[in-house]
Amino acid sequence: MSPRYTLPMLLATAALLSACASQKTPATADVAVSRAAVENATQAGAAELAPAELLAAREKLQQASRALADKDYKLASDLAQQAQADAKLAQSKATSAKATSAANEVQENVRVLREELDRANKQ
Amino acid sequence: MKSKFIPVLLSVAIALSACSSAPLTTSTLDQARNDHVAAQSNSAVTQYAVPEFKAATEALNAANAAAADRQSTEKIDQLAYVAKQKIATAQEVARARKAEVDLKQASQQRDQVRLEARTVEAETAKRSAEQAQAEAEAARARAEQANAATQNAQQQTQALAAQLAELQAKQTERGTIITLGDVLFNVDQAVLTSGGQATVQKLATVLRENTDRTVLIEGFTDSTGSTAHNLQLSQRRAEAVRSALAQAGIDRSRVDVRGYGEAYPVAGNESAGDRQLNRRVEIVLSEPGKPIQARR
Repeated sequence: MSPRYTLPMLLATAALLSACASQKTPATADVAVSRAAVENATQAGAAELAPAELLAAREKLQQASRALADKDYKLASDLAQQAQADAKLAQSKATSAKATSAANEVQENVRVLREELDRANKQ
Repeated sequence: MKSKFIPVLLSVAIALSACSSAPLTTSTLDQARNDHVAAQSNSAVTQYAVPEFKAATEALNAANAAAADRQSTEKIDQLAYVAKQKIATAQEVARARKAEVDLKQASQQRDQVRLEARTVEAETAKRSAEQAQAEAEAARARAEQANAATQNAQQQTQALAAQLAELQAKQTERGTIITLGDVLFNVDQAVLTSGGQATVQKLATVLRENTDRTVLIEGFTDSTGSTAHNLQLSQRRAEAVRSALAQAGIDRSRVDVRGYGEAYPVAGNESAGDRQLNRRVEIVLSEPGKPIQARR
C-alpha cells in the first residue's frame, strides 16, 4: 500500500472506531441510568403499588442489557430509554398512591373527629 | 408510445402524492397526543407538575418531529412511547403533589377539630363540676333544713313534755290524760274557777302547738244526788271546758265532749275525800293524727 493512501485509510478507520465508541458510551450510560431508575421505583414501593409498570421497566432493562452485550447499541439505548420512562412512571405512581392514601386517611380522621365533636356538642 | 406512458405517470404521481400527503403517525403517537391534550386540560398538572409536563411536551415534540421527518415507524414509536410514559408520569406527580397539599390541609383541619373537641370537653367538665357543686350545695341545704326540722321537732316534743308535766298528765293506752279536779269548778256548778281557767289555757297552748292532736273531754260526778242531775252536771262541766278552749281559739271540731255522770268512779263514794276524787273532768289528748279510743 502506498503512503498516499495510508493517511486517508487511517483516518477512515479512526472515524469508524470513534463512531462505534460514541454509540457504545451513551447506550451504556442509558442502561445505567435506567437501572438506577428501576431501583428508585422499587424503593418507592412500586412492586406493590405499580406492578405492571415496574415489571415492564425490568423486562426492558434486561433486554437492553442483553442488547448491550450483543453490541446492538441502538437497540440497547432505545430499550433503556423506555425502561427509564416506565420506571419513573412506576415510581411516581407509587408515590402518588401513598400520598393519596395518607391524605384520605387524615381526611377520614377529620370526618370522624367532627362527627364526635357534633355529638359532644349536642349533649 | 406516448399514450402508454400516461397511466404509468399518473399512477406514479398518485403514489407519490399519497406518500407525501398521508400524515405519518402510529397508534402509540396518537395515544401520546391524546394523553397530552388530557394532561394539558388537567389543572393539577399545570399547577403542580410544571417541569414534568414540560419534559413530557418536549418528548412528544421529538416524536412529532420524527413523524414529520418521515422517519421509521420504530423510531417514531420509540419516541412516542417515551413521551406517553412521561405524560403519565406528569399526571402521577401532579396527583401526588395535590395529595400532599390535601394532606397538609386535612392535618390543619384535624388540629382545629381536636382543639375544638378539647374546648368542648373542658366546657363539659366545667359544667358538670359546677352542677356537682350546685348539687352538693343543695344537698347541704336540704340536710340543714332536715336538721333544723329535727331540732324543731325535738324542741316541740320537749316543750310538749314540759307542758304536759305541768298539767300533771298521765300516759295511758287511750292517750295522754289530764285530770281537772273538783276544786277547779265552783261547787255543784259548771263554771271553771280561775285555777281551772289557767289549766285550760295551758291545754289550749298545747293544742295550738300540736295541731295534729284532738281532745275528748269526759265529765264525771260522785254518786250523790239524782242520776239525771249528775249526768247533766258532768256534761255541762265538760262543755264548760270546751267553751273555754273555744274562747282560747281551739276549733270545736277538735274537741269532743261526753258526760258520764256517776259512772266510772276512780274511788269509793263513802268518804268526802273519795267523793271529791270522783267529781272530775278528764281530758284525753290524742296521739298525733290518731283518733281517741272510746271508753269501754
